[in-house]
Amino acid sequence: MSFEITIGLIDRVKEQVFNMVLDCYSGLSDCIYLDLRLGVSESKFSMAQKGVSKESREEVFGSIGIRVIAGRDITASGYFGSYIGPSDVRNLDMFVKEGISCAWRRAVANSSFKSRFKKVLGELGSSLSPTRLKEIEVCRDTFSLPFKEDPTAVPLQRVVKEAVDASSVVEEIYGSCGHNTVYVYTGLFRELFVSSEGAFIDQSYPLTEGFVSVVVEDEFQYDHLGGKGGWEVLYGDNAFNKTFREFAVDLARDTLELSKAPVLPSTDKEVVVVTDPHFNALLVHEIVGHPVEADRALKMETAYAGRSWFFRGFNRNQIGKKVASELVTVYSDASLHGYGSYRYDAEGVRAKRVVHIDRGVFRGFLNSRETALILDEEPNGSMRATQAHLVPLIRMSNTVFAPGERNPEDILREVDDGYYVVGHHTPSIGESRENFSISARRIYRIKDGNLREFYRSGAVTSDSRDFLMKVDAVGNDFKLFPMPNCGKGVPMQALRVGNGGPTMRSRAKLVGMK
Amino acid sequence: MKVEVLRKCVGDGLRFIRFQQGVREAEVFASWNENITIRINYTSEIPCSGVHEPKSVVSYGVGVLAVFDTPQGIKVGFGSDTGDLTIEGVKRALERAKKSSVYDPDFKTLPSPSYGSPVLSSYHDGTVMEIGDEEVVYLGWRALKGALAVFRKKGFMRNLIVGGDVTILKEKVAVANTNGIDEFDESSSMFASITAVIEDMNAKGTGWASATYLNRFRPEEAGNMAAKNAISSAGGRRIGSGVYNVILGRQAVSMLFSEMIVDALSLDHIDSGNSPFVGKLGQKVASDIVCVYDDGARPFEVGSKRITCEGIPTGRTDLISGGRLVGFLSNNYYAKKYENNVVKFIPRNGFRFGDEGRDFKRIPSIHATNLVIEGTREVSSQKLISGIGNGVYIGRLWYLYPVYGLAKAHFTGTVIGDSYIVRDGQITEPLKPNTVRINDNFMSLLKRIVAISRKKSPTLTWGSREVIVAPEIAVKCIRLENVAEFIEEL
Repeated sequence: MSFEITIGLIDRVKEQVFNMVLDCYSGLSDCIYLDLRLGVSESKFSMAQKGVSKESREEVFGSIGIRVIAGRDITASGYFGSYIGPSDVRNLDMFVKEGISCAWRRAVANSSFKSRFKKVLGELGSSLSPTRLKEIEVCRDTFSLPFKEDPTAVPLQRVVKEAVDASSVVEEIYGSCGHNTVYVYTGLFRELFVSSEGAFIDQSYPLTEGFVSVVVEDEFQYDHLGGKGGWEVLYGDNAFNKTFREFAVDLARDTLELSKAPVLPSTDKEVVVVTDPHFNALLVHEIVGHPVEADRALKMETAYAGRSWFFRGFNRNQIGKKVASELVTVYSDASLHGYGSYRYDAEGVRAKRVVHIDRGVFRGFLNSRETALILDEEPNGSMRATQAHLVPLIRMSNTVFAPGERNPEDILREVDDGYYVVGHHTPSIGESRENFSISARRIYRIKDGNLREFYRSGAVTSDSRDFLMKVDAVGNDFKLFPMPNCGKGVPMQALRVGNGGPTMRSRAKLVGMK
Repeated sequence: MKVEVLRKCVGDGLRFIRFQQGVREAEVFASWNENITIRINYTSEIPCSGVHEPKSVVSYGVGVLAVFDTPQGIKVGFGSDTGDLTIEGVKRALERAKKSSVYDPDFKTLPSPSYGSPVLSSYHDGTVMEIGDEEVVYLGWRALKGALAVFRKKGFMRNLIVGGDVTILKEKVAVANTNGIDEFDESSSMFASITAVIEDMNAKGTGWASATYLNRFRPEEAGNMAAKNAISSAGGRRIGSGVYNVILGRQAVSMLFSEMIVDALSLDHIDSGNSPFVGKLGQKVASDIVCVYDDGARPFEVGSKRITCEGIPTGRTDLISGGRLVGFLSNNYYAKKYENNVVKFIPRNGFRFGDEGRDFKRIPSIHATNLVIEGTREVSSQKLISGIGNGVYIGRLWYLYPVYGLAKAHFTGTVIGDSYIVRDGQITEPLKPNTVRINDNFMSLLKRIVAISRKKSPTLTWGSREVIVAPEIAVKCIRLENVAEFIEEL
């Protein structure tokens, strides 16, 4: 058998790994659960700046992540993660067993301390509980997201050329007064999930993306084009319906134009704002997507990513309550063709469509097996990690504002005095996601239903519930965008998710740069 | 994994590469890292685990940066190999480097050993390198116990949240190149960062602890500090929107520098034009009292390293001196690119930091190590507070980003805890967490600094590698907005 790390490694070892997990599980004392993820990726990457290739890489990575839940009096978790190399594959039995032992030792130690502290802490120890998982249908499946042009077959030189060409055409747009950086990436990912419950899932997906950042004088703009597809993503099979070169050129032209535009004047009061689908992609991500992650709701992320304005406690939350205008519906769906597409999550749970806000009323969270048990919900398959050696977290899949029925041009035409917000830039959000300030790429003044002058360096700011409650028009122009860097966890995991929506109209204040 | 194994890998690897045809220069870098994180999650009203995730990630391998003579000219390439420190791993990495090589006219040469000798030696803790699983897990419980002990003693038993983590980072590296660099490094660092909340009192406090030696590491002190700060902040009230004199506490100062100013002071951002410091070398960019420097060789600091990931000894790089911009952080690539007869940048900040440690899969980029902020004149914390008259003490900032791009220096963020209202030079009452948004411009803010505290402490922000050795600073006229009043109805 070859010990090389390739996508094909999983074919060579998956039965062996599955049997090892079952064998180890039966031999571990006080162990109630064990799972293992083995992931491999093969990818190519290139970076160019100002029309010159700076870096390129052809990479193969393999890694492994193990979870154990064990304990005599009260169960607790332990984890182990590691990259793997050919020597680890050569000694796979020993490598996997050592990893399982390490995770088990941590779980057992954790259990022992939990039990001890529960007694010592008295009343404060009453909430310390056994770590348990909600029951699920155990699945055995092989699933691959399709592609047209195999990322592993694209020559590295082609990736380099794509980056250089895009960077070169961008350079021509602004002459000598700017700078650009272009990244191009294509790869194939595969992950095996096996568990002591008998789960055996082999899942793979392609990923191709391009990133452009442009600086013209002090104007900095960036954007990302990508999809869970093969090389075809860069040639029009993407949310923008553009080739990567067209996308890069458009961004450069936009940046050049914006560099000469006036800065948005701040408004003292709320004004009418019409927000385009690209802006709304980041909006739904920040003020709904994140606070519907159940770990945030249950305070597990308080020290890092914050809490959730949808949930203060079991007796103090928004479930069943109005949180938005009845024109607003928000849901997550991993079956949509976007960055958040997958079939099974990192606990082997089949991903389900989850409605978070249904015509203005809050309905539910993205969860894990552990949080589903606490919230008394069914697991909906929302646990993911960027790589197998990292512990999964509750993450958005494709989380979106649902489309409405209005023509977006009519939504604009109806505005006597307001602003049209085009494209998102950078967010800043309150700790429980209760308040936001999201800068836009450009903002137009609307007068008597027509777009007038446009501005740069402006942001939309509002309390989240206020904004959602004041939505009075939702368009039929739904779009799903790739969001490449949703950061969460320690160590930080920057996961790709899908977010989107249609044109919407609401009210908010605008803040211009000082 | 012994560091001698890594040294042998790079030594053997370089000897092999020297004999390869067409290789003009080469650098071999090998590393072994273990990142152990114990995540804490305690909630008094919701079933919880206490120590939620005791976990670790191990990574090791080799990276080769090579300069090739080709018929088309000089090309530079990088390749790596995971999990194999034998000559076979080096060969595969070299092959990948060759395949991925590109012509980059900005690449000059690899570094040479002309920057002095390393200052630090044998500064890692051998005990930490061998720490067992049970002891590791117990560190997390110690941090939690520290917080709960304070709550219990003070009679706070309901609506409590304690979260955060204890992290141990073990890093071993070896690096050698054809210009004569042959170095190694071994470091251990421990951090605890804890947040404590009394939810029904809208009280939130932060605590942290760091050390390079296990016998000096006190995670329970991080827990104590967080709980005490939470209790101090109970019963906070809102302020109206307006312009205020502000004291930025150490965590807030760390956020400001980690999220924005460090990048803006890095030569790669100057190169791209995406920094407000472009064209300002030698000019006044801050108040006269402000001095900022990076020093990777400070003893006992968790950000310290013996060498950079390019094999260059760490040391001090002055950035702002008496308010004047005097330098930038740099790695070898940008230092060589910008070297001329007038100015020379010493590349003391070329690191391969990734989430797992010093990552053999990366080429060196620019990172701060221990960024020190100090004043030409410094005062006590008490004097700092009394000096602002009426204003706000901001302990912790959140989601601070340059929302219109770094070059414009405008930022926004929210105040999430450890904050107080100041009247007549005295702290009078807590500021309610999550009720204030700050909008400002950091270039302007640096010029409005009026006082800097004598006492500093090393602080880390979520997701950052650098340590900010931060004082408290007093700043005039910061715009603060009252936000999210609806949250009280929920």
